[in-house]
Amino acid sequence: MDIKTKLKTIIVEELNFEDLTPAEILNDVPLFGDGLGLDSLDAVELVVQIQKHFGVKIKNMEEGRTAFQSVNALAAFIAERLPE
Amino acid sequence: MKAVIRGIGVVGGFGTGISTLEKILMDHGPFIESFAVPDGQPLGGEPYAPVDTRNLKERFSPRSLRRMDHLSRTALLAAALALEDAADPGGNADTGVAVASGYGAVRTTFAFLDTILEAGDAGASPTLFSNSVLNAPAAHISMHLGARGPNLTVSRFEMSFSDALSIAVQWLEEGRAPSVLVGGVDEWCPVLGHCHHRFSKTRDAAAFLSPFCTGLERARIAEGAVFFLLSPEMEPASGYGVVESVESGRLPRDTPTFPKDAVILTGIDSHRDSARPRLPGDHRVVDYTGYYGTLPVGMGFDMAIASVIVRRGRLFSVPDSTGGETVVDGFQTEKAPKIRRACCLNITPSGAYGLITLASRPDFSENSRPQGLMKS
Repeated sequence: MDIKTKLKTIIVEELNFEDLTPAEILNDVPLFGDGLGLDSLDAVELVVQIQKHFGVKIKNMEEGRTAFQSVNALAAFIAERLPE
Repeated sequence: MKAVIRGIGVVGGFGTGISTLEKILMDHGPFIESFAVPDGQPLGGEPYAPVDTRNLKERFSPRSLRRMDHLSRTALLAAALALEDAADPGGNADTGVAVASGYGAVRTTFAFLDTILEAGDAGASPTLFSNSVLNAPAAHISMHLGARGPNLTVSRFEMSFSDALSIAVQWLEEGRAPSVLVGGVDEWCPVLGHCHHRFSKTRDAAAFLSPFCTGLERARIAEGAVFFLLSPEMEPASGYGVVESVESGRLPRDTPTFPKDAVILTGIDSHRDSARPRLPGDHRVVDYTGYYGTLPVGMGFDMAIASVIVRRGRLFSVPDSTGGETVVDGFQTEKAPKIRRACCLNITPSGAYGLITLASRPDFSENSRPQGLMKS
């Protein structure tokens, strides 16, 4: 499973989007605000889940602001930092 | 002031809604065992009767429910059903919410602890944590139903429900809320199932829950929620009657006071260590725990059943699981006087007790009882 697909599965399953399937999440849609509608609690949950599933830490708000733009941005962030 | 019961919402292993529970009473069953499924957990436990909350999605958007765990969904469904039963689905913006829970969100709490055990502090799930706090169900109820009155969660194990009811009635007395949604909720979890399995080694797996058989472990762990919409007594009459009094105390220091014309629902849940209440011999005594199971807020289910008894003015017989006989017999004849009062009694092994008395409206008068509404 590629990073983007895995990320979408995590969003649906771990953030409990029972009315969405991973395939319905578009790669470039904003994760927060008017896009998918995630909020600050989801952000913290995502930080935990990304570390758990990918071993990648999002260390501060600045990194998070960049990474959490969209699935594309988050996948790129993870790909750059994946452990060897 | 007394409190009028305007609507009731129940959710349990037996199904959903007061009409479902009423049908079970009318049909003399089935017992909660009939709904039990294997717990399927590696720890090993006994079958339990799960609550189905899927039809919450008919009432609320799935997106608004996504953060809610099983306990909160169970509580919300029962609270929404209470408003619907009262024909007041919109509720009142100033409605208070008082929630009792003996265990709280045990399923979520253990899941949260598991995230820490697996991945350390950094792996602690904030979503699980937010649901693990005891007042999460009450908060979700207020947010989803738009109830902006006082909001409180009470936990005192088996006495949780009667304590929450005392508080709800007090809010009405003080005018702090024009109506109150008061209820109780508890859930099953694998750890609880395992503990009960270990505790009840001597349990006869085939035996039904048998409240009046002493010294046997026949409890059946259950989960569920029950809510009532209460209003001040000056509100229009309701068939469910009124909450005439809520007492709490401790034996032998205090003595529960039973109106002489009341039927007593004992709420003995077949735990081996259940306290045996010293009941007055001239009262009709019945136990309906076999229909909803063993859970700390079981007293709330007794109050729901007592409300139906008061509304219909009659008792419902309960098949005795040990011999197929009827525990309450001889009260269903046409000449039997209508039952206008019902007491729900719960006594802990340490002697703490809660006693709720319901009365039908026509029989109610300010002078009918010597003590005030709340006695402690």
